[in-house]
Amino acid sequence: MSSHDHPGARRQTVAEWLLTAAPFTWLFILFVIPTALVFAIAFKPSDPWGGVGAGWTLETVRSLRNPNYPAIIWRTLWISAVTTVSCIALALPCGYYIARAPYRWRRLLVLLTVIPFWTSFLIRIFAWKVLLHPDGYVKRALVFLRLADADAILLYHAGTVLLVMIYTLLPFAILPIYAAAERFDFRLVEAARDLGASRWRAFRQIFLPGIRRGLLTAVLMVLIPSLGMYIIPDIVGGTRSEMIGNKIAQRTFVDRNLPHASALSASLTLAVMAPMLWVLYMQGRRRGETRP
Amino acid sequence: MKRSRIPLYTTWAVLIFFYLPIGVLILHSFNASRFSSSWEGFSWRWYIRLFAERDIWFALQNTVIVALSSTIVSMVLGSIAAYALHRYHTRLQRVHYTLIYTPLVVPDILMGISLLLFFVGIGMQLGLITIFLAHTSFCVSYVAMVVLARLQDFDDSILEAARDLGATWWTTTWRVLLPLLAPGIAAGGLLAFTLSIDDFVITFFVTGPGATTLPIQIYSMIKHGSPPLINALSTLLLVVTFLIVWLVQHLTQEEHRHEVD
Amino acid sequence: MKWIKRWAGLLLLVVLVTGCGRDRQTLYIYNWADYIKPGLIREFEREFDCRVVLDTFDSNESMFARLRAGARGYDVIFPSSYMVQIMQQHNMLLPLDLSLIPNIDYLDPDYIGLSADPTLAYSIPYMLSNAGLAYRADLVTDVVPSWSMLSRSDLRGRMTMLDDMRETIGAALKYLGYSLNTRNEQELEAARDQVIEWKRNLAKFENEQYKNGIASGEFLLVHGYNGDIMQVMEENDQVVYLIPEEGVSIALDEMVIPQGARQVELAHHFINFLHRPEVAAANTEYVYFLAPNVGAYELIDEEILNDPAINLAPEIRARSEVIEDLGEHNALYIRIWDQIKAAN
Repeated sequence: MSSHDHPGARRQTVAEWLLTAAPFTWLFILFVIPTALVFAIAFKPSDPWGGVGAGWTLETVRSLRNPNYPAIIWRTLWISAVTTVSCIALALPCGYYIARAPYRWRRLLVLLTVIPFWTSFLIRIFAWKVLLHPDGYVKRALVFLRLADADAILLYHAGTVLLVMIYTLLPFAILPIYAAAERFDFRLVEAARDLGASRWRAFRQIFLPGIRRGLLTAVLMVLIPSLGMYIIPDIVGGTRSEMIGNKIAQRTFVDRNLPHASALSASLTLAVMAPMLWVLYMQGRRRGETRP
Repeated sequence: MKRSRIPLYTTWAVLIFFYLPIGVLILHSFNASRFSSSWEGFSWRWYIRLFAERDIWFALQNTVIVALSSTIVSMVLGSIAAYALHRYHTRLQRVHYTLIYTPLVVPDILMGISLLLFFVGIGMQLGLITIFLAHTSFCVSYVAMVVLARLQDFDDSILEAARDLGATWWTTTWRVLLPLLAPGIAAGGLLAFTLSIDDFVITFFVTGPGATTLPIQIYSMIKHGSPPLINALSTLLLVVTFLIVWLVQHLTQEEHRHEVD
Repeated sequence: MKWIKRWAGLLLLVVLVTGCGRDRQTLYIYNWADYIKPGLIREFEREFDCRVVLDTFDSNESMFARLRAGARGYDVIFPSSYMVQIMQQHNMLLPLDLSLIPNIDYLDPDYIGLSADPTLAYSIPYMLSNAGLAYRADLVTDVVPSWSMLSRSDLRGRMTMLDDMRETIGAALKYLGYSLNTRNEQELEAARDQVIEWKRNLAKFENEQYKNGIASGEFLLVHGYNGDIMQVMEENDQVVYLIPEEGVSIALDEMVIPQGARQVELAHHFINFLHRPEVAAANTEYVYFLAPNVGAYELIDEEILNDPAINLAPEIRARSEVIEDLGEHNALYIRIWDQIKAAN
């Protein structure tokens, strides 16, 4: 940090503080303090009527070991993992294809990928409710094709939640992968192929490392919202597809147990922060490296 | 050399996957049947009914008020933050960067509950004001990131040139820096606006009496409203979205042409 | 740059236009969904030159949690009787000024007795509801009037129960022959196992979507409130309300004015308005819940008034119970409900 090396450094510092003050203060009050509050309240006792009791306790945190939780935590993890893997698996060929398409096509394809991302999240979920209705088109088509029998139920189980989560989060995976692929020098792949690498090997050993950053962003953009998903299991999920997000909402809005909701949120925050801080650290290092 | 066809097929399959549900929704908004499982003829009745639904217009009005105000505030704060991050490379800015970046990757539900606890803790009346504060908090980060990306391609020597030619700090900022950054700020603002308009989870946590926004209204319609009415509303929203996307494309294209000249 | 200015101007215009017309008094109401005839709200607005904003909740617990979580500013709320008791214990209610509600003279004394607040100090009875089952006559055969319908594996995945711990645990308690206000742990555990068995057949625990769901044939058998089901029957005559012979839960929903209300006088007028005999009658004929208003009885369509789903038959009535506040035993119910939700 070289700001002290030249004259006017003091003025510089004052100007920097003035500039930083407004956004910094805003986020400090409305992001840092609330998050800290979640961690604090997790160590408070609750009274049965929704209040936050006095004093401090480990009771709430201990209650997370409650035998009812592992099932929900496990479900949240596997649904998020499968969602992420599926989104990446679909997004890789898409990003690749879009990046290699001719310029005019590329614009159109990007636009077509962005539009669902711009349409109301709730409406995209609702559309699946219509589509998967017991008398809906998908069901009728499946029955017609003998892929499902007439009693099959498409809505309200973990599979439905998974499908709709992939549907809503897929654009978040395609866009960063496409952005990275667009900057990728495809001559490298061709060179590898000329040297006798198989298509698969060129893809895996040249293309994938080449778009590593985009891939990483895509994983985060899908994984993190998945872990905190609340609304999709709520609308298209059934009695056995609750996720941690639903539990937090239930603790807050039905059981009125704020300490418990906080304890759950705090653990979710930790689960999310761990991969994120790692990525931030990696990016920060790179940011530092490229500086003069 | 022969290229694999897998990317081609996947891309088109994904696009069909994206648009099939939306297509069915649009189709059903013209279905005369009350239960959207069978087709009973073309009808505009749901659109006509929609215009008579006072609650929807009230919710739309709330949504627009919140979205506009949080967009404007976050455009100002976000641009300042981005400029500070770009201009200075101190330890303070490292912390600042983390502070800006983190809200982007925290799940909505965590932001919702933490803000709810905060507002309850300080005894703040829940309502449009708390929704505005919450929305601005996540929008600032998005605007800052978009503007920061724009600044990365920015040639700082232009500012130095302006200063060398005797322009004051104020003139440089106002006449040189801002106009050059305007497309970035506008893009960030547009992103903030769409995020605010579409936010359900955070709003759901911090909303108060009478402060129903459009997503909250849509949610309660999904729960107990009439499905064809939601189809009609969705179709209208889609049309608006398409218009905005088209407009933005149009404008940025013009911008590009301008730059080339 | 011109387009930015043009857009800024347009946005400003939108703000100005949407910001206008907010000077009338506004009454904020917090009620169950589909629990008041919309036309009556318009009528009240015209008569008292005010604006009514209606927010809805789907269970007593979620309404209470919202209020505890800082949702201040509602003027009239419609909790069930047991929740009125809880709210009153927490000093969340304003005492009523009965001189502003002369229509209490029409209240049916039989039902005032069900209230936890029979002196009407804090709450005025609004309507009476019960929670039973409904099925699709065209798609379900061999119907028996019993909660045991929920064990039918041929309806698996096409049934719902309420996402309401008192109602759903209560249904199982009734089925097993216990009181739905029991504090006995063994009885509750038996009820828990019963609900878990039913849960394997359920599509969802759901308080709202079941109405559209049964109307559209998405669900074949649902657990729901009588009036809500009868509103659906009006649209689809294949839907039938079924009162399990083991007994059902009865709720007396009441009107209260919470602390923090801004339009206290207007709120009293609103409560009084809803107990005008002609208003109460029109309301009952629309929502199909019974308003305990003697004056309205004479105006309500005979057929609706004598419908066994609205006015329970005496022998069912004898086996049914009103949900009561459990005090500290509430935590026990929450624990049981958690175990139900987590079970596989």
